[in-house]
Amino acid sequence: MFLARIGGTVVAAAKHSTLEGCRFLLAQRLEADQSMGVEPIVVVDWLGAGSGSIVLVSTDGDIARAKLGNTTPARMVVVGILDSVQSQESARQE
Amino acid sequence: MRLGIVRGHVTLHPAVTAYRGRTLAVLEPVTMENLRAGNGLGGGKSLVAVDELGAADGQMVAFTEGREAANPFWPGAVPVDAYCALIVDCINIHAETVS
Repeated sequence: MFLARIGGTVVAAAKHSTLEGCRFLLAQRLEADQSMGVEPIVVVDWLGAGSGSIVLVSTDGDIARAKLGNTTPARMVVVGILDSVQSQESARQE
Repeated sequence: MRLGIVRGHVTLHPAVTAYRGRTLAVLEPVTMENLRAGNGLGGGKSLVAVDELGAADGQMVAFTEGREAANPFWPGAVPVDAYCALIVDCINIHAETVS
């Protein structure tokens, strides 16, 4: 699992049949030093994450298989929307 | 899933039986910098993915990797680790839109 920032939405012209009705968001992985990943990723979202939200993304497809069936290729799924992060850096600032 | 641009297709002969009739697309992953620029460039290391959607050269797809890439062939055993799950129509990045 990793944290990612939602940067936009993806509209598909064609998709695997199990992905009909899914919401696809464009995200960038967040690193510990606050930098963002070079390559964007497309995640499936059922929680209603908005643009600019920081989310927890699971790369395990089990939750997608449970919702969309055994033949779904979905893998990266938003499993939570970030409320706060406690780190050494934030503790120092406090 | 990552985003990639279709750069071509691969034909195999011979190949394992499970690949018979499958379309294999050569994909170039897209970096955020190129996506924002909308310049049609990829920038990532190319890979081959199974495509059942019929993506044409130059089209952008979202592809899944790893164990989940073989899920569409369940319960069959197919040695696939990259699969085109979406053909991208457009991407809205905050205020901008990239087609």
